[in-house]
Amino acid sequence: MNLTRRSLLRSTAATGALAMATSLTGWAKAWAQTSMLHAPEEGATLQLLRWRRFIQSEEDSFMALVAAFTAATGVPVEVLSEGMDDVQPKASVAANVGSGPDMFWGLYSLPHLFSDRCIDVTDVADYIGNKYGGWAPSAEVYGKSGDQWIALPVAYNANLINYRQSAIAEAGFSEMPGDTEGFLELNRALNRIGKPAGMALGFASGDGNAWVHWCLWSHGGNLVDADDNVIINSPETEAALVYAKNLYDVWIPGTASWNDSFNNKAFLAEEVFLTNNGVSIYAAAQNAAAEGDEKMAAMAEDINHAYWPVGPVGKPTEFHICYPLMGMTYTKYPNAVKAFMQFMMEAENYGPWLNGARAYLSHAYAAGEDFAVWTADPKFAPAKPAAYRTLTAGGLGSVGEKAASALADFVVLSMIANACSGRSTPQDAMRVAERQAQRIYR
Amino acid sequence: MADVPLSPTRSAAAKAGGASAWTRLQTNRNWLGLWFMLPAAGFLILFLAYPLGLGVWLSFTDSRIGRPGEFIGFENYAWLWGDDVFWLSVFNTLLYTTVASVLKFAIGLYLALLLNRHMRFKAIIRAVVLIPFIVPTVLSAVAFWWIFDTQFSIITWMLQGLGLIDHQINWLGDSTMARASVIFANIWRGVPFIAITLLAGLQTVPGSLYEAATIDGATRWQLFRFITYPLLTPIIAVVMTFSVLFTFTDFQLIWVLTRGGPFNATHLMATLSYQRAILGGNLGEGAAIATAMIPFLLAAIMFSWFGLQRRKWQSGGSDD
Amino acid sequence: MTDARTSTSRMAVTVEQADATEGMDYLETRGRRLVNLWLPLGVIMVVLLFPFYWMGLTAVKPDGELIDLDGTFPLWTWNPTLKHITTLLFETDYPVWLWNTMMVSVGATFLSLIASIGAAYAIVRIRYRGAQWVGGLIFLAYLVPPSILFIPLAMIIVQYGLFDTPFALILTYPTILIPFSTWLLMGYFKTIPYELEECALIDGATRWQILIKIILPLAIPGLISSFIFCFTLCWNEFIYALVFISDASNKTVPVAIVTNFTDGDIFRWGSIMAGALIGSLPLVILYAFFVEHYVAAMTGAVKE
Repeated sequence: MNLTRRSLLRSTAATGALAMATSLTGWAKAWAQTSMLHAPEEGATLQLLRWRRFIQSEEDSFMALVAAFTAATGVPVEVLSEGMDDVQPKASVAANVGSGPDMFWGLYSLPHLFSDRCIDVTDVADYIGNKYGGWAPSAEVYGKSGDQWIALPVAYNANLINYRQSAIAEAGFSEMPGDTEGFLELNRALNRIGKPAGMALGFASGDGNAWVHWCLWSHGGNLVDADDNVIINSPETEAALVYAKNLYDVWIPGTASWNDSFNNKAFLAEEVFLTNNGVSIYAAAQNAAAEGDEKMAAMAEDINHAYWPVGPVGKPTEFHICYPLMGMTYTKYPNAVKAFMQFMMEAENYGPWLNGARAYLSHAYAAGEDFAVWTADPKFAPAKPAAYRTLTAGGLGSVGEKAASALADFVVLSMIANACSGRSTPQDAMRVAERQAQRIYR
Repeated sequence: MADVPLSPTRSAAAKAGGASAWTRLQTNRNWLGLWFMLPAAGFLILFLAYPLGLGVWLSFTDSRIGRPGEFIGFENYAWLWGDDVFWLSVFNTLLYTTVASVLKFAIGLYLALLLNRHMRFKAIIRAVVLIPFIVPTVLSAVAFWWIFDTQFSIITWMLQGLGLIDHQINWLGDSTMARASVIFANIWRGVPFIAITLLAGLQTVPGSLYEAATIDGATRWQLFRFITYPLLTPIIAVVMTFSVLFTFTDFQLIWVLTRGGPFNATHLMATLSYQRAILGGNLGEGAAIATAMIPFLLAAIMFSWFGLQRRKWQSGGSDD
Repeated sequence: MTDARTSTSRMAVTVEQADATEGMDYLETRGRRLVNLWLPLGVIMVVLLFPFYWMGLTAVKPDGELIDLDGTFPLWTWNPTLKHITTLLFETDYPVWLWNTMMVSVGATFLSLIASIGAAYAIVRIRYRGAQWVGGLIFLAYLVPPSILFIPLAMIIVQYGLFDTPFALILTYPTILIPFSTWLLMGYFKTIPYELEECALIDGATRWQILIKIILPLAIPGLISSFIFCFTLCWNEFIYALVFISDASNKTVPVAIVTNFTDGDIFRWGSIMAGALIGSLPLVILYAFFVEHYVAAMTGAVKE
């Protein structure tokens, strides 16, 4: 019974994707005739390496988009997936060796690690920007090197507060507090009623980096200033460390070992009732509910998302993942690469794809506000302005290989983890981080 | 073993009967040796000696992934010298190696002594004991990862069921527990190797020695201390050199279980060098960390050399 | 007993010693024997084997039970499912990874055996000038661990154009295997009487013929031992495979298990455990058939 229902679900999903693909194809063929800026080279084929999907339906719609592109232009596109942390080393090696996938789709500042190995896509970016109301400011930072666009900042993964409505109600809060003080009170109250919160403090490049940077920035701390001078050792950072320790003390034990998957698992198992994540926990609960799991159906009903609270600096200091897509100069088919990038970002493709991602991904240009996904479910709402609320990797400083190294080395995360565990005083933790940052920004 | 009694015969035969044949080959022996050595030497020079040298050179450059570096002298080392995380990794590595090796040795020797006794199903038991050593480290580490899960640990569940504890154990999230957990996993995998090799050593100890000593009224401890242990010393030296060396340079177990966390408390030099070189992209700095391991390795090798020399000296010319 | 003592044969020593320990064990009462022998042995065995039990159980448990320790009895399952295993075999590239691991292991092992046979024979029997030193160097090579070589080797692999191909592994693994198997084979070759070789030399055979026709057939146990041990080491190797291989379709089982079994931030524990279990099976089966050779290889390499 269960099995048949599941296979039924799977097959309907497949026909859905198929229907979407065929409807896309008609439009795509017309697009190739009229709007395409660069006609792909004769006999072109493309290989694209992307971060591995978090939500199956996102990948399904992406593959439908790819199939439509192939149908319209005759260019086959092979899509490879890698874990989030593995894209960067692979892209770096490929850039060095001068061979590998034609396109890399990675995280944050990836294109800036080897900006001279990225195809200039300025005309594509300008076309998309002009047509769709302009790129988000953060998208320009990630996509541009000087005046040149070296990548398209395709989408953002909104990292939000995920919580159980019933738990915060039980803790005496009708809604998620909008300021850091209230948020701390909520965490304390959750601990008191035995339904604690928890966020990853292990080497978790997604969720871990997201919350520690929010915590640092919301108190006015920064790793480097606008000229890349290290300024982490400051009273503001110290305030952030004290605040983080206060949170940590009322969280479920064990968060220091959490990687990106642990909070999902603990949340679904009702071990924690508030954490930070994309909307993938909600999606997982909904998927289980669709397979007939009643407990998960109730949980999905109860899950909600919220913006990050605003700290003493008085403005949002969120840190969402940006996924830039770049073409490599060694490709034999640069026009095909550009055509694909343009195709992907046209609202007719971009909209349905983001719809398939069910708010796991947020748009990078203004016209994206009107996409169907943002009216599909009120719980998606906090993900909508991700591109406009996020700060960029490196904070005030440059987006480049140094910022990437600091993220990969978990400088901020280790500092906060050390202070939280009580293993070092805030001053010591800052000193260690300062030293680390100086090493990277030397 | 069998060749040794024969060796006098061999030289005699070489001098007498086969003299002409041997002299014929004597002339081109060095060339012949070279030909036979070629494949092995090729591999070891191209993929071992050359990278070893290149690694040392890299540690003096600022190479990054995707970009050849320039010579910067001791800059990488100077930064490491003032880097708390690096020193923490050195401390972790030494702690990990020392504690794991000592315990592996103690448990391994104890297990070997147990297995050396007369019992039923000995062959099967011995075969089963070795299984943790056969199964690839990463695959068993994955099992430990799940066993040491903070929320869903089966050990926590069992201890709670027995009423021994009433809270979750933070296996991999607390620095002390995380260190203990990874050391435990390392011991688990290393004990079979030590036990089985020491068992082989034990089986060469002539039982007559024990008999004679027992008749003289020696206690069990005295038997071990004055017969088993001295005869076993050479093999212990070699086994422990290997064990220390591979524990010191361990990577996979840590990478699967903690990736160096929490708070860098389980970062070994090998994992830190991977993190900085491959994930962070600073090849030069990663190479410097790897090169910093070499003095420790040399110390271990000297120790082994000493053990081997001593063995030769012990066995003298008598019967080896 | 007295006769046995004078014998230098190891076999006799083992037998004699077994007798001796047995003789002493009579002094123990059954109760003491239980406490001194079977109890500690039992505890150690349980600890050594429990992770495998847990691995196997997790591989057949339904997802719901995996994270529900209180609602069900976690040490057993009444609803075993093959879902994880079928998912693994039919919906992932697992068969490809198994095949890659097999191919790389067999390739690297054969190359290493050929190289080590030559080297061991040359060192032990040809005894060219400096053979002793070369033997010592090879022993030292055994002590150079992959974790200090992977960074420069990665650059070399890229330079040689081997990056992300099976050859990156097939050609680098022998550096781990050759020192060990050379050392092991040297021990075996030493036990083969020189007279055989001398007679053949006098009859006009070349060194090559001698090696193939006389030495190798006599050293077959040693060859099996070193084959099995090399094969196991290849299967176990992790850091080179992690660094030198990029494409998912070229990965080996240990690397794929760690890097390819997360759906973004959801871990599929059931499939991971099924993968770990199935990935271990080939080695365990091989081991079951050749236990004695394996033990001989392990102890031999240490003793020589």
